[in-house]
Amino acid sequence: MTTKNRESENKEQENRLLLPFFPHYLLDEVIAWYVMLGVIVVLASLFPAGLEEQADPFQTPAHIKPEWYFLAVYQELKIVPRTIGVLTPMLGILLLLVLPFIDRNPHKTWRRRPIAVGLGVIVLVAAIVLTVWGWRS
Amino acid sequence: MQQKDVFYRTWPLRFWNWLDKRYALQEFLHALVDVPIPRSANTLYLGGITLFLFGIQAITGILLSIYYQPTPENAYGSILFIMNDVRFGWLIRSIHAWGANLMIIFCILHLLRVFVQGAYKPPRELTWMAGVLLLMLTLGFGFTGYLLPWDQRAFWATTVGSEIAGAIPLVGQAALNFLRGGPEITALTLSRFFGTHVLVLPVGLALLVAIHLVMVHQQGLADPTEPTGSPDDLLQEGAEGSRVGGSDDH
Repeated sequence: MTTKNRESENKEQENRLLLPFFPHYLLDEVIAWYVMLGVIVVLASLFPAGLEEQADPFQTPAHIKPEWYFLAVYQELKIVPRTIGVLTPMLGILLLLVLPFIDRNPHKTWRRRPIAVGLGVIVLVAAIVLTVWGWRS
Repeated sequence: MQQKDVFYRTWPLRFWNWLDKRYALQEFLHALVDVPIPRSANTLYLGGITLFLFGIQAITGILLSIYYQPTPENAYGSILFIMNDVRFGWLIRSIHAWGANLMIIFCILHLLRVFVQGAYKPPRELTWMAGVLLLMLTLGFGFTGYLLPWDQRAFWATTVGSEIAGAIPLVGQAALNFLRGGPEITALTLSRFFGTHVLVLPVGLALLVAIHLVMVHQQGLADPTEPTGSPDDLLQEGAEGSRVGGSDDH
């Protein structure tokens, strides 16, 4: 009797902690996808992709910029010496790749990871500032 | 259970049973889908939306490839044709362009979420590394795709973009030549960017996504709450429990 009670109690506790992937979690996810589909069709309809003049290698336009996601690196290259400018992002990607092996702090909440989260915020702010700077220059 | 018998005599079900007997599909589906999710897990839909956008990019990209011609003489004209003459061509190309930007944005947001929740920590190191590589491949998609319309913006953005590679010490010039297929941006550049964009990167990304997802499947979603015991142990127990429970049905 008592073991049976304990068993059902354990099962109940487990159910409170865990949620089935199918259909509960997946349905939630699919709703988000559906919203995204709506957003992307509206964006594409209101702001269709543009097209400039045909490419002409002999006519350099006044303002040349790479795509927005390369603007931070592009701007950083303008303000520091070339070699450092190109090696910094490469080193950054390498550090990002091996982050789980560098960051040995076992805590998960950001309140108990001041160094990791602090560095993360600095890198993020720098990337945003460089992107906006590159955009406007 | 008379109703059930009638149900099982319908031909889709009989075909399913026929397949199931041979390939143990029921078991396979159970293993695929019976994954318990910790209620405290909060993914904010970011990784899922990134995956969905990849699907959109694949479909719209295949449709665009029907009309696009990857040569300097014809590329620009084929884009004009897609935008003006192909029915809904403008919509497909615009969705592809928006999807590219949104995919990069959601990829970065997904990375930030995993970072803030500390979900990259052991035992999920390799999932994180696969994710960072996926971001690099996504950026590669953006870089190679941007040249394909062969308009002024595309040509000169690729010019300055590939110049960055030229700044790498020692191997800079070699890297630049490798990217452009020579010192200048020519027909060779366009065809290698096209090939990379529609063959190399899609296969690479699809494989890495599969690996990324299998790793998530095997470990379950990370629980971002701080452990009272160890949250990973708890998740492990939960997963085992549900698997035992699931086998009761057989």
